Amino acid sequence: MKRKLKIIIATLVLGAVSATGRAQKGDVKFNLDYNYSMPMGNFKNNIISNASPRGGTGEIMYSLSNKVAIGGLAGYQDYYQKYPRALYKTGPNETTSAVLTNSIQSIPVMAKVNYMPLGSSGAPVQPYLSGAAGFTFIGFKQYLGEFGSSDNAVSFAAKAGAGVFIPFGKLSAAGVSVGADYNYVPYNKNGFGSLNSLNVHAGVYFPLR
Amino acid sequence: MKMKSSALITALLGGAVWLSGCSKDALNNLSQDETRIYITDRDSSVNFSNYKTFSVSDSVAVIHDQQSNMELTASDSAYIVAVKKYMQQRGYVLVNRNQNPDIGINVSRVYSTTGVINYYDYSDYYGGYYDPYYWGYYDYGYYMPYAYDVYQITEGAMSVDMLDLKDASGNKTINFIWTGLIRGEGIFSAGNADSQVKALFDQSSYLKTGE
Repeated sequence: MKRKLKIIIATLVLGAVSATGRAQKGDVKFNLDYNYSMPMGNFKNNIISNASPRGGTGEIMYSLSNKVAIGGLAGYQDYYQKYPRALYKTGPNETTSAVLTNSIQSIPVMAKVNYMPLGSSGAPVQPYLSGAAGFTFIGFKQYLGEFGSSDNAVSFAAKAGAGVFIPFGKLSAAGVSVGADYNYVPYNKNGFGSLNSLNVHAGVYFPLR
Repeated sequence: MKMKSSALITALLGGAVWLSGCSKDALNNLSQDETRIYITDRDSSVNFSNYKTFSVSDSVAVIHDQQSNMELTASDSAYIVAVKKYMQQRGYVLVNRNQNPDIGINVSRVYSTTGVINYYDYSDYYGGYYDPYYWGYYDYGYYMPYAYDVYQITEGAMSVDMLDLKDASGNKTINFIWTGLIRGEGIFSAGNADSQVKALFDQSSYLKTGE
């Protein structure tokens, strides 16, 4: 695990060091983020209340201008919660005592747009607003004890967020990104309603050309 | 440019491998006790306080794909002892089966190579597992007025079935009035039998005699 992490960090540093110049129209930028996700609403109340520290996102953005970039993202988030043993009514007169475990793997694939209001100012630190829409592939496993059922679904997904790009140096086109976004994911199986979440993320970006 | 592309691919592949390795495996995070589930079902029209005496089958039916044979391992004995113990704690009086018990109790081990147990089928074949003559009614059938969902059972399960012998003559059939099912790891250990049966009774507070 540590070795994998070292390879990833080394690769990112390599890309960052080789990058020069500030983002301009026509630039293509790659952003790799670690993601910490906090379930909200029905997701938190009915399925998994624990935050997930197991996630990440990769995105490729093309600059249409100094202020606007469009692109796509793909990610992965793993949610898990084990509830203490409890009694569940599983039939008209049937009662089941079990430890309940919910496990959800979410893989979003979305189109994204970033808007940087200070893009034309030449400021090295660039705050941004972002919006994205697409689909999320959802794997939902639920276990009573060791006995599980699983369901796979594809749901519409959208997110809105804000953050900041901080370059490694004044002339560097690579840097660190930090931000937060709200994920909207309707999920109506079993009456759950939604898998919405609030995410905070941090990572690195570097130009591809 | 070429170096950056290979760096990007390396980063993406590395990231994917790293993230997939970060997933929590639900089954690997369960203790042996947490793997177990206890399911009880009953005939809601029955008032359990109307029954006073009970008897437990002296051996266990090992049911495998609708075939069965009777066995009595150390674990089986421990289950029978535990069932007697917790029935008596609820006020029921243990009697011999030839003393007209109000309730007859069968304990079974259930296996299936197909992995599917439908409890309608389970009760339909019940006469093949337990000869009704054992309880003194050689020409009566069994009837389960309730049913579990369809369960996948490949690793085995323990089933405890309560039969209404008090009203069998009037009904001309032997009705199930309560069933407890235990599934999960370590359930066939004699050392675990008492706590497994206790769990079934703990979630069935209505199981108590009138006196």
